[in-house]
Amino acid sequence: MNFEKIRDIIAEQTGKDAEEITMETSVKDDLEADSLDLFQIINDIEDEFDIKIEDVENIKTVGDVVKLVDELSQK
Amino acid sequence: MYADICQLLNIQYPIIQGAMAWISDSSLVSAVSNGGGLGVLATGHLDGEGCRAEIRRIRELTDKPFAVNIMLLSQFADDIAQVVCEEHVPIVTTGAGSPGKFMPAFKEAGIIVLPVAPSVAIAKRMEKDGADAVIAEGCESGGHVGKITTMCLVPQVVDALHIPVIAAGGIADGRGMAACRMLGASGYQIGTRFLVAKECTVHPNYKARVIKAKDIDTTTTGQSTGHPVRVIRNRLAREFEALEKRAASAEELDALGRGALRRAVKDGDMDYGSVMCGQIAGLVTKEQPAKEILEDLYQDYLRVMSETTK
Ligand SMILES: Cc1cc2nc3c(=O)[nH]c(=O)nc-3n(C[C@H](O)[C@H](O)[C@H](O)COP(=O)(O)O)c2cc1C
Repeated sequence: MNFEKIRDIIAEQTGKDAEEITMETSVKDDLEADSLDLFQIINDIEDEFDIKIEDVENIKTVGDVVKLVDELSQK
Repeated sequence: MYADICQLLNIQYPIIQGAMAWISDSSLVSAVSNGGGLGVLATGHLDGEGCRAEIRRIRELTDKPFAVNIMLLSQFADDIAQVVCEEHVPIVTTGAGSPGKFMPAFKEAGIIVLPVAPSVAIAKRMEKDGADAVIAEGCESGGHVGKITTMCLVPQVVDALHIPVIAAGGIADGRGMAACRMLGASGYQIGTRFLVAKECTVHPNYKARVIKAKDIDTTTTGQSTGHPVRVIRNRLAREFEALEKRAASAEELDALGRGALRRAVKDGDMDYGSVMCGQIAGLVTKEQPAKEILEDLYQDYLRVMSETTK
């Protein structure tokens, strides 16, 4: 559930097709997102789920983001 | 919207000398702080103990407030954050990342934190992390840059945040300060103009190159690596551009760039050194003591403000 929402936010910011985005998709290599894009995506996800994500620096894949959101939105 | 940055930072003029890697050392920092601005020590090239030594030297040279800049990408960022707390440095500026993980320690130590932000999303994040003010830095700046101009970034960040905004990028005289004031900025961070301060220890060739620079003389290299840097378009920059055009590997680009800033700053190599400076270099025409630069800037700012608001 969270994955679909996150995927759509990422697709919108990076201009990729949502279907191309999987848990394994690399933020930097596949999405070609620079740090401006990444922080925009995180900002939009934080607003959507009403959470605050730490350790943005350690995010490598879409799966990393989903895992963080799953953990934080359970609390 | 406007805040009293002088009161927040306990300085005379609302002017911050931006950190400049390899360049803004105890000499420039103490001269700016003694002159009534805020000097900022660059630490990108220092380890923890090197940073401690410079902080102590600054304290021998001035009893005024100063700041230490932490490049969060630096391998020594953790050590430097610790040293800054131990030495009770009053103010910290941060670049290249989010200072989130250091925030509790900084707050515990009573340190004022001013992160540099190149976009609204990053500025909002810094505010959530507990920043006291944000430095909105446009891509006119020298050094590592974002993608948005100061003119467009500052008002958008001002609207998005509740904390004071300091403008950076492209300011070198009172007109630039007044313009940023109109955009909602409460303070001004300046790098390029302080490169030519008398007390700045950068190689004389570097100063001469900045003074000679025209409006079109800078470019950004490293777009392909995701870490663009604004530099003078010299031989090194042209070779870099050529490599990027043929999509050279990150390793090749790395090899060309390695040690290039040091070559420019210390050896004065204006062909194969990385001569970082901003687009406003064309407005910088002479070497002056830091105190005189600060007085000039502020008097000019007051003059422009009173003439335009008549
Ligand atoms: C040579 C040079 C080195 C810089 N190094 C750093 C740095 O280490 N850390 C940082 O946060 N900003 C760095 N900057 C950015 C400045 O602190 C400042 O924000 C910028 O120069 C402002 O734009 P201006 O050059 O148009 O005045 C550097 C700028 C220059 C010109």
